[in-house]
Amino acid sequence: MKILLVDDEQKFINMLAKRLALRGIEADTAYTGEEALKKAESAVYDVAVLDIKMPGISGPQLKRKLFTLHPNLNFIFVTGHGAVEKSEEDGSEKDIYLSKPLDIDFLIETVQELIQAR
Amino acid sequence: MNDALNNMNIENLKFFGKVNASISHELKNILAIISETAGFLNDLTELAKQGKELKLSLLENCSNSIAEEIQRGFTTIKQMNRFSHSVDVPVMDVDLLEILDLIIGLTGFLSFAGNVRIEDKDQKFEAITTCPFILQNLLYRILCFAYECAGPDGEIRLRLSPEKDKGILLTFLNSAQMPVEKFPDEKIKQTADLLGVEFKKNNSFYELNMLIPHTCDKIKELEKNQ
Repeated sequence: MKILLVDDEQKFINMLAKRLALRGIEADTAYTGEEALKKAESAVYDVAVLDIKMPGISGPQLKRKLFTLHPNLNFIFVTGHGAVEKSEEDGSEKDIYLSKPLDIDFLIETVQELIQAR
Repeated sequence: MNDALNNMNIENLKFFGKVNASISHELKNILAIISETAGFLNDLTELAKQGKELKLSLLENCSNSIAEEIQRGFTTIKQMNRFSHSVDVPVMDVDLLEILDLIIGLTGFLSFAGNVRIEDKDQKFEAITTCPFILQNLLYRILCFAYECAGPDGEIRLRLSPEKDKGILLTFLNSAQMPVEKFPDEKIKQTADLLGVEFKKNNSFYELNMLIPHTCDKIKELEKNQ
């Protein structure tokens, strides 16, 4: 299982990646949409966990670009906002939104469900 | 004046809500980092219980990270407090540099915020008599416009210079061109009008000048009624 974590809150995803690594899950980090696209060109991920609001390419915009590159990629959006935004239908699976702070066990459970449902 | 103010009320309320939402977003990010760091410390504790070696440098990094985020939280809450109290008195004497400093901090929570700095911050200026909340609204909107033009890697410099018997000239110098046709929009125009602020654009439009008066008739009227 390989996950791509994308968020401009660098400390947040670095710590999350360390915690996932302790649980045997490989996670790459990217701090911008551009960096995420570069990583996705040379690696295959099962799930991309994307922040919604980022400088430059936003989470939903990034999802569309990543989906073009890897149509089998699953997505989870992470939001700092209390409200969960409505998912967008663009031919991909329905989006999943998780609110910060994350419950790591729930995140892993969600990732596993997404992969199993594929 | 009252009609104009009534028309502005909804926009001002929206502005108050927007800023508070961005502050709550910032605080959530801070808490998310602290939460992950605490989770990581828990993970390390569990591993230590199983006999794995506990590296002291990891503990030190975690405690430093938590301390930094707490400091970031205090700064955010201080800005939230200053912003909340700006509605206490409709008209008062204000230090423009202080207001700019606050607005730079508040717009910094936005995902599209770029780099911004005030040139020569040690200058002293005569106070201006204005409505601090509406002035914040105006500066926030203009800075957002400037960020959107500059992009995430752009830079905006703010220059202040006194205009004798008139007020303070505030110049936004943008590393990117600001499209003439998009500025000022109707909301910025209405807000500026209430404060007696005049805009001066130059042809290249990398630069935007606004004259903030020491006071104006509309503000005097508002002051009389407060």
